Amino acid sequence: MSELILQALYSGLLQGGSYALIALGLALVFGAMRVINLAQGELVLLSAYIAYSVESGMGLNPVLAIPIALVVVCLTSAVVYFVVSRIKKDREINSLILTYGIGVILTNGMLLVWKADIRSTSSEWMQEAFVLGPFYSMRSEVLFFGVSLVMMAGLWWWLSRSWYGRAVRAVSSNRDAAKLMGINPGYTELVSFIVAGILAAFAGVALFSYGVISPAYGGVLTVKAFIITVLAGVGSIPGVLIGAVLLGVAEALTVTLASSALQELAGMGLFLLVLFIMPNGLFGVRGRRG
Amino acid sequence: MQTTKNTTKNTTMSKTSLLALLALCVGGPLLFAQDHYVMSLLVASMVIGGIALSWALLGNLGGMISFGHAAFFGVGAYTSAVLSMKFGVPVLAALLLGGVGALVAALAMLPVLRLRGPYFALAILAYAHIFRILATEWTSMTGGSGGLSSIPPLPTLPGLDLSSKIGAYFVILFIVLVFAVIYARLRESHYGLALRAMHESEDATRVVGVNSVVLKGMMLLLSAFMCGVVGAFNAHYISFLEPDYAFSALWVTIPIVAAIFGGYRSISGPVVGAVVVYLLDQLVFKNIIPSGHQLVLGVLLVAMIVFSPDGLLPLLRKLFKGKFTRSKHAAT
Amino acid sequence: MLQLDKVSVRFGGLTAVNEVSLEVGSGDVVGLVGANGAGKTTLFNAISGLVRPTGGAIRFNGADILHAPLHRRARLGIGRTFQIPQPMHELTVRQNLVVAQRFATGRVDERKIAEVLAFTGLAEKADRDAASELALTELKALEVAKALATQPKLLLLDEVLAGLETNGKRRFMQMLKGLHEAFAVGIVIIEHDIETISQLCHRVAVLNFGQLIAEGKPAQVFSDPAVIKSYTGA
Repeated sequence: MSELILQALYSGLLQGGSYALIALGLALVFGAMRVINLAQGELVLLSAYIAYSVESGMGLNPVLAIPIALVVVCLTSAVVYFVVSRIKKDREINSLILTYGIGVILTNGMLLVWKADIRSTSSEWMQEAFVLGPFYSMRSEVLFFGVSLVMMAGLWWWLSRSWYGRAVRAVSSNRDAAKLMGINPGYTELVSFIVAGILAAFAGVALFSYGVISPAYGGVLTVKAFIITVLAGVGSIPGVLIGAVLLGVAEALTVTLASSALQELAGMGLFLLVLFIMPNGLFGVRGRRG
Repeated sequence: MQTTKNTTKNTTMSKTSLLALLALCVGGPLLFAQDHYVMSLLVASMVIGGIALSWALLGNLGGMISFGHAAFFGVGAYTSAVLSMKFGVPVLAALLLGGVGALVAALAMLPVLRLRGPYFALAILAYAHIFRILATEWTSMTGGSGGLSSIPPLPTLPGLDLSSKIGAYFVILFIVLVFAVIYARLRESHYGLALRAMHESEDATRVVGVNSVVLKGMMLLLSAFMCGVVGAFNAHYISFLEPDYAFSALWVTIPIVAAIFGGYRSISGPVVGAVVVYLLDQLVFKNIIPSGHQLVLGVLLVAMIVFSPDGLLPLLRKLFKGKFTRSKHAAT
Repeated sequence: MLQLDKVSVRFGGLTAVNEVSLEVGSGDVVGLVGANGAGKTTLFNAISGLVRPTGGAIRFNGADILHAPLHRRARLGIGRTFQIPQPMHELTVRQNLVVAQRFATGRVDERKIAEVLAFTGLAEKADRDAASELALTELKALEVAKALATQPKLLLLDEVLAGLETNGKRRFMQMLKGLHEAFAVGIVIIEHDIETISQLCHRVAVLNFGQLIAEGKPAQVFSDPAVIKSYTGA
């Protein structure tokens, strides 16, 4: 029994890596623009479908889809930015509905192109078992966990060291002061959307490589990403990783101990729990009360 | 001298156009009473209208955007169906109890009221998912994923068979009208004034004695009740219910598009918008893109938010009248 | 009427209000002065309920209101204005007052509303929309009117004169002078101008870095070296 639990913890941990990438994309845009991109999950899914097409259409390993996914998803993300920036008033609420609408467009677009069937990778290389001590996983899970760690480290470096990164942080903490310092908020907002796109692209290929996808899954991903940002609280990258792992573990445990049908409930339950008990998230600094 | 209540003047219709609308709602369908297809479209669009109205009420008065009204719709549907099937409650009473069921579900959501915009919207979505899963797993009560079939239809009253298409239409029309009246009275009342003021600055209203938390809570409960009754109606009209249908995202997306299209700041807007959008979707979009026709709805939504967040119909109305009232739009 | 007993408000590491004790009787007009950031508005926030004190006690007419929510305090009779006016934009001036009165007292008395409108000079603009139609002076007058409409026993005025030009200031001073008598209300007023405070208030309390450093008649307080130092030196 305890091996099952440990195995669940391990799987959850690996899953957490990709979840973290999605959540970070959401958090980045929110930090730069105070906008929650409800279409973030669909962007991830788009990348996953591109990986599918690369695999089934060209017979290549999904990893090779990453360059294409990067271009497509980042372009799409930039388009989302441009549309969002056209909102004239009440950006917080209107952007919610707007990105929701974009999510609907993307979901149905994917439905049209790729049909409603559930897809997953048929690459044996990806699915091959990878044993680490007593723990089993697919090679793809471990691979992409490593990838996400690298990406997160890169993101952390970028946010703290590069000029763009610091500009993003400046804009998110004080827009007007940032403008006075010569930072163009519009530019940093666009950059944040594109970086979110990069994260989404990797997460999507990862998702396809070890999970199953269907057009409706985009919305589910957005919700999971949102739950993680709530768990993590505002303004903390390590917090997002830990929150993501928590979610992954909670889901894995639910599947192992209860049933896979209740998997989604795990996230929801966690979400509500944190909301009522620790409204600032596990690591959050600012409050979120209305 | 500026008129009083300028903003409500922008959004309430003149008496004549209101009567005209009413006449259309009643008279029009009588023309089509024999055409089953058209009637079922009209009934469905009124259902959407009901949800849109309850959604707009929560947005306007409660100041909260919700992406989870499917929760209320589904809970109302299941409550009513189960009560009438397993406990023999007469259908019309079950409709009301369906609303009560949704209201009870909303009670569980009260704690998330203190969250700001996006957090609230998604918290409600989380609840919607939870209820859907509950409906799927609680097989003994809800029939599980197979759902419930042969749900008792609306009764036959002397003179009118409510389970007929035209009968059902008048039931849902009646429901929507009652809700619209409640909404209107509320908006004009002191509570309505206080609620509208709360959007700007909740603290400023609390400092003059408004218990903003309770008021917002009541709006959530009311919106839930309304949506629940509509869901209950739909269950008895369709006679069949299953979790993916009852809690489908369609009951979220289409009402939102409808409400925004018709102008969600007004009372008639969401309902008119629902009829227009739904008919467009079923008669036009579905024929162009059979399996992804919601895509056009998404495009419509995006276009509206960018170009005319207060709704397309109000924009058209303004253009028609040829005069542009000074743009003193109340803050959304 | 109002008793503050060693009230402290701490935000994380910062102590905004440090063990302030103050009493305001129903007949008093008390001035609250201090440099910017001395904690005056925070103290108001603590009294009106926007902020929960981290220490001390607040009693209003004998009742402990430390845990009373905002709206409850308004209903008990504590009215307050905000430094930056926060009118109910969507509503007319009159509606602003109606809402205030309706929810603070449970009833709407047209006569009293008319009285307040007349007193604050807003009778003419009563049916204009609050946000776009009013000048700053009128918005500030509306702040006071809203608070008066709640029929308060204690009125907290937060820098009502700030940002007004000379004429407006003069009119306001006239209004403030008559406030105490016309509405039988105890007042605590935050202002920066020594002249204003001396003219309006029976008593003055001085805050510096969250602490009460002096209290007494205006003439006394303003000649106190410690007070002068806090204004000019510290």
